[in-house]
Amino acid sequence: MVSLRKTVGMGGGSSDKLGSVEGGTVDQFPAGLRVLVVDDDRACLKVLQQMLRKCLYHVTICSQAMDALSLLRERKARFDVVISDVHMPDMDGFKLLELVGLEMDLPVIMMSGDGRTSAVMKGIKHGACDYLIKPVRMEELKNIWQHVVRKNWNDSKDQEYSGSLEETDRQKRGNDDVEHASSANEVTESNWRSQKKKELCRDEEEDGELDNDEPSASKKPRVVWSVELHQQFVSAVNQLGIDQAVPKRILELMNVPGLTRENVASHLQKFRLYLKRMHHGDPHNSYCGPPNSYCGPPSSYCSPIENNHTSKLNSNPPGRLDYQSLAAASGQIQIQIPSQNLATALQAELLGRPPSCNNSSMVRSALEHPNLLQNSMPGGGPKFIPIEHGHHSGDPFNQPSLVKCSSNMSKPLFTQGNINLDSIVSSGYSDCWSSNNFGTDCPASSLSALNNVVPNSNNVIIAQQQQVQNPCVIIPSQSAATYPVPINIPASMNQNSFGRGNCGSTIIDYNTLLSSRTSNNASALCVGQMSDGNFKSSGLLNIGYGSMSGPNIDNNSSSSSSWKICNSGMNINSNHFGSIMGSDMSRGDPEKMLQHGRRNLGFVGGKGGGTCIPTRFAIDDDIDPLAPIDNMNDHQRNMMMMMMGDNSNSIPNNIKQEMDQLELLKSEDPSRGGNPVGNAPPHFPSNDYLSVISN
Amino acid sequence: MEYSRRQLNNIKANLFEQGYLDDQFHQIEELQDDASPNFLQEVVTLFFRDTTRLIDTTEQALKKSPQDFRRLDSIMHQFKGSSSSIGALRVKNECSIFRDHCNQGNIEGCLKSFQKVKKELAILRQKLEAYFKLLNQSESVAVKKADR
Repeated sequence: MVSLRKTVGMGGGSSDKLGSVEGGTVDQFPAGLRVLVVDDDRACLKVLQQMLRKCLYHVTICSQAMDALSLLRERKARFDVVISDVHMPDMDGFKLLELVGLEMDLPVIMMSGDGRTSAVMKGIKHGACDYLIKPVRMEELKNIWQHVVRKNWNDSKDQEYSGSLEETDRQKRGNDDVEHASSANEVTESNWRSQKKKELCRDEEEDGELDNDEPSASKKPRVVWSVELHQQFVSAVNQLGIDQAVPKRILELMNVPGLTRENVASHLQKFRLYLKRMHHGDPHNSYCGPPNSYCGPPSSYCSPIENNHTSKLNSNPPGRLDYQSLAAASGQIQIQIPSQNLATALQAELLGRPPSCNNSSMVRSALEHPNLLQNSMPGGGPKFIPIEHGHHSGDPFNQPSLVKCSSNMSKPLFTQGNINLDSIVSSGYSDCWSSNNFGTDCPASSLSALNNVVPNSNNVIIAQQQQVQNPCVIIPSQSAATYPVPINIPASMNQNSFGRGNCGSTIIDYNTLLSSRTSNNASALCVGQMSDGNFKSSGLLNIGYGSMSGPNIDNNSSSSSSWKICNSGMNINSNHFGSIMGSDMSRGDPEKMLQHGRRNLGFVGGKGGGTCIPTRFAIDDDIDPLAPIDNMNDHQRNMMMMMMGDNSNSIPNNIKQEMDQLELLKSEDPSRGGNPVGNAPPHFPSNDYLSVISN
Repeated sequence: MEYSRRQLNNIKANLFEQGYLDDQFHQIEELQDDASPNFLQEVVTLFFRDTTRLIDTTEQALKKSPQDFRRLDSIMHQFKGSSSSIGALRVKNECSIFRDHCNQGNIEGCLKSFQKVKKELAILRQKLEAYFKLLNQSESVAVKKADR
C-alpha cells in the first residue's frame, strides 16, 4: 500500500522515490498527470514547469494562449489539466478557460497575481476549477490532481444514469465501488488516470482489481471534444436550433459511436454557457452562427404584458396555438408577447423548424416534461399550474410565463416538435401558464389527446425531460425582456395541492426537488413544484394541448411533452423529474434521476442534505433565478411567476428567503466547473433554507 | 572556495535582509536540481529579459497623452506578477505603488514610481549578477578541484 503522499517526489533537488514498486504505476499516483501551463510570463512559466516536474507531472508550457489552444486541439487526449494565467496579451484567460472547457472538457485552473475576492469569483464563475494566486507555491501545484479526479468522477457519475449505460455499468452499480470513475475504459489511456482512480477507489490498496478491466458503474472515458467532434456537435445544434437542441437529438445527429447522451448533455451545457457569455459581449456574436441558434436578445419577443391581452394572443395564427385562446379565455393573460413573434415561434416549434428566437429555451424547458404532465394527470386532467390571477392582475408581471432557462440551463428536449417555445415563453407566453380560468378552460380532450401521446412518447419525454435541466427553472434568459414582476412564489414547495390559483409550489424547491422526491415535489429543477394530482389545467397545459392536440401531437411528442412539461414544470412529479439530463428516465428511479440530474446540473451537492441547485440554474449571469425576486427584472419575475403559478400578489418572504438561499447555494456550487453564479454574497442559512424548502 | 561559499551566503543573506528578495527566491533555489543545474540563473535571466521589455512598454505608455491608466495598470500587473514569481520583493512593491497611482489617475505619482521600479530593478540585477558570478566561480573551482 502506498500512500499518495509518498508517490509524489517533492522538494528541491530531491527525487523522492516513488514508493515501492509493488503496484507498479499505481504507486506513482498522481505522477504522470499531464499538465499544460499557459502564461505569457516566461519566468513564471519556467518556475511552474519546474515545480510541476518536481510533482512528477508531465508538463508542457506555452506562452501564447492561441498556441495552447492549438496544442490542446491537436493533442486533445494528451492533457489532463490546464493551468492558465488570467492576464495574457493575446487572449483573455477566461476566454481560454471557457474554450477549453467547451471543446476539451478539461479542468482549468486559473492563475493570477490578483488575489482579490472579486477576481477569484470571476474565475469560478467562468468555470475554473481552481484559482491560484501568484506566486504559486509548490504545495498548491501538488494537489491539482484533485481537480482531474473530481471531474472524472463527476463525469462518471453522470454516466451512471445515462440511458446508454452499459451492462457493466449496471453491474457495477451494485458494487460498493459504485460512483468510482472507472478506469476500465481507460486502461488503454493514460495509465495515470487508471492508476489514480483505482488507487483512490481502492483506498490505496493494491489488489487484483487494479488490473481488472471490469468497468465500474460509472466508467466513462472522458470524451475529448476534438475540433471535429465539436464541429459535429455544433452542426447538430444548429440543425436542431440552439433552442431545440436536446442532447438526445444532438447525439443522434452527430452519430458518433461511443458518444453518450451525457457527454453531449454536459457539452451542451458548456456550449450554452459559452454562447451566453458571447452573447453578453455581443448580441450578434453567436458561436455557431445560424440565425436560429442562440443569439440575440429575446427582448423582441417580449413586451410588457398587460392583462387580458387576449387580443394579441388571438392575433396569433389561429389554430396554431390554442393556448392562446385558452390564455385569452383565462382572462389572466400574463404575458404579452408580440403576437407575431409568438406566432412565429410557435409555428416554428410546431412545424419543427428551428426556433426563430432564442427564447425558446424557457418554453422548451417547460415543455420538456411531458412526463410531468402525464403523471400529473391521474385524474385525467393535466396538472396545470394555475397562475394566480390575483397577482397578475394589472401587473406587468405578465411576463413570459416560462422561465426561460438560460441557454445553458435548459436543454430543450424537443427533438421532434422543435417548438420554439422560447419565443413563446419569452413572449409572454405565460398566458398559458397563468390564470386559474385557464385551467378550467383546458379542454379535456386536448389533454387526453396529449395523454395519449404521452405514453408513446414517454421515453422520448423522459429522455427529453432528462435533458431539461431546469424545466421549471424560472430563469429568464438574459435576453428576456424585463417586466415588472411581482412574483408571488408560494413558499411551500411540497405537496400543496395545486389548487386553482394556488400553485403550491415554490420556484426554488430545489431541496425538495432534489432530495425529497416525493411525488409532489418536482424532483428536477422544476421551478414550481406542483402537487401531483392537483394541477389545474393551467394555461400552459392547455396551450400545450391546444396546440399539440393537433396533428403535431403525434408527430411531435416532444412538443407535446414540452407543453406538458410546462405544466409539469409546475407540477413536477418526482418520478418524472428525476433525471435532469440524460439519465434513463425509464428506469424510473426518482432517486437516481435526481442524483443524476443533480450531477448533471452540477448541483451544489450535499448542502443541507441535498439542497442542490443546478448549476445551470445558476449559470445565467443575467438572470439569476435564485436571486431575490426583486432583483430580477420584470421579465424574469414574470417568468418565475408563471412557472410558479402562484396565487398571491407578492412574493412571500419565505420565497425570497429561499431564493436567497438558493442564491447562496448557487454561489457555493463548486461543481460543474464552477459555473455557479455567485451573484450574491453567500448568506445562506442552510437551516432556513431546508426548512423552507421542505415545508 | 570556502571563502567564496561564505561570501556567497553572505551576499544572499544580505539580499534577503534588505528586502530585495523574499522567500519565493528560496523556492526557486530549491527547485534547482541535477536535471536543471542552472535553473535559478535561467529563471532570473528570463525575468530580467521580460522586465526589460516591460520597462520599454511602460515608457511608451507613459509617454502617451492622455495617459491610458488601464493599460499602464495592466503592464504593471504583469510586472508585478513576474517579480513575485522570482521573489523580487522590492521591485514588486514598487509595482504595487505604481498601480495605486494608476488607479488614482495620478500621473505624477506614476512617473515617480516608475523611476523607482527601474531603479530597484537595476539594483537587483546588479546584485544578482554579482551573486551568480561568484556562484559560478565557486562552482567551477569546485569542479576543478573535483577533477584533480
